[in-house]
Amino acid sequence: MTTDPTISLKIRTALGEYLKRDPATILITQHLRDDLGLDSMAVIELLYRIEEAFDLQIPDQDLVGLASVGHVVSYVEKRLGKTASPAPTKKPAKQSKPKGKKKS
Amino acid sequence: MRARVVVTGLGVVSPIGIGVSEFWKAALSGQSGISTITSFDPFSMDGYRSKIAGQVRDFSVERYLDSAHGERVDRYAQFALVAAKEALADSGLQMAKENPNRVGVIVGAGMGGMVMGEREITQLYQHQKPHRVHPNFIPVITLNSASGIIAMAYGAKGPNLTISTACSSSAHALGQALHCIREGRADVVITVGADASITPLVFAGFCSLRALSSKFNDHPEKASRPFDRLRDGFIMGEGAGTLILESAAHAKKRKARVYAEIAGYAATSEAYHMVIPREDGLEVAHTMRLALADADVTSAQVDYINAHATSTTIGDAVEAKAIRHLFKSRADKIAISATKSLIGHTLGAAGAIGGIASVLALSTGQIHPTANYDDPDPACALAGLSRSAQERRVKVALLNAFGFGSNNAAVVLKRATS
Repeated sequence: MTTDPTISLKIRTALGEYLKRDPATILITQHLRDDLGLDSMAVIELLYRIEEAFDLQIPDQDLVGLASVGHVVSYVEKRLGKTASPAPTKKPAKQSKPKGKKKS
Repeated sequence: MRARVVVTGLGVVSPIGIGVSEFWKAALSGQSGISTITSFDPFSMDGYRSKIAGQVRDFSVERYLDSAHGERVDRYAQFALVAAKEALADSGLQMAKENPNRVGVIVGAGMGGMVMGEREITQLYQHQKPHRVHPNFIPVITLNSASGIIAMAYGAKGPNLTISTACSSSAHALGQALHCIREGRADVVITVGADASITPLVFAGFCSLRALSSKFNDHPEKASRPFDRLRDGFIMGEGAGTLILESAAHAKKRKARVYAEIAGYAATSEAYHMVIPREDGLEVAHTMRLALADADVTSAQVDYINAHATSTTIGDAVEAKAIRHLFKSRADKIAISATKSLIGHTLGAAGAIGGIASVLALSTGQIHPTANYDDPDPACALAGLSRSAQERRVKVALLNAFGFGSNNAAVVLKRATS
């Protein structure tokens, strides 16, 4: 998955602050619940921080599928109207729709 | 032998009616009390994810009370006073003939005096004039203002307590009142649940928790749908319920009409999470089992469950799982209804209002519908749920209530014996 490095870093930093660990150890592929140990309430707290960091409001229905760090990054990119910035000759990477189960 | 405890009076303030007869008529017809919040003057609702609630409309305390007791308390305590007045009148209890030291008041309240609380805090921060904080601010926001004012209104000098366990507060109030009378510390306990905190900050807080329904803002009456596949969160409500509990001997002595018996109670903690229930439902099942044992009845005797059922995805599924775990194949033979489908989640009042619905199921044989149970979620399908009112002779009812803070309560009620 190609991601905007600034957005990705900001999200991993927010996660790092929340989890009290080095953002560099948080991978885009990690699952919020299974890999990072966030319960549904912790996901809500994390998204609250992300709303603040990007000046966004995330509607309840958009929570469905925000299951991994990558999903959150893609979601924020989409909301900010930013796509990944690959080499100019290439076709922009297609945004994959976040998938995942809704826990609560 | 321990004292039996009976219910002799009922009173209610709810989004579908003020007064038991109006409430019950609306409940049996499946009427929804959920409506749009037009504004939190001077706020618009634009920034709120949820825009609907079970509101008690056009309430003014002067219409219901002759005394001045309602003037210096917050909305939740006004509701409590109005529900207590109705319940006392209904019970026929005459305080002049009672020993006031033997009449207690136990109130369950989750949020308390938030109307004035929010206003005063806002004004202090806006204007920075601490000397302009209202002199009545502290007495109003103190969580026992309702139990205090009810005691003052009726001269009830017995045990006076407030139980605050979020959404299970007044189920615990019923349980503590049961204990209080069983232990001989009071003959009568005015038992109340009350909350009225559909206020800008509290409502925003529940929105931020992602606990409220936000899919049905354009169809408020469809939003509260416990156990239905499309449910997406609870709907905040407000109101109060009062049940007059007294020892069976005391009720008999004064020839009071007995609605039902409060026969058992259990209180537990899941010691698990502030807002998430344990998904296996075992703690909830354990709580119900303890309450049945306290009432000396078996699971095979339960005919009706007034479910906690707030219309959240996880909460309803956990409760259904717990019911199935405890009652096994009998789970589908028990009539079940969710009062919150009609009035939303009245937080601290929920246990008392659900208690009133349970008492009326026992005394009338009528069970109110569960509104919007249109498409049963397979994760929590129970055959005893119905969109229509049910008629059934109910001998034993179970009332569930669960609260934030990993808190569970269950109360067992029995049909009155003549």
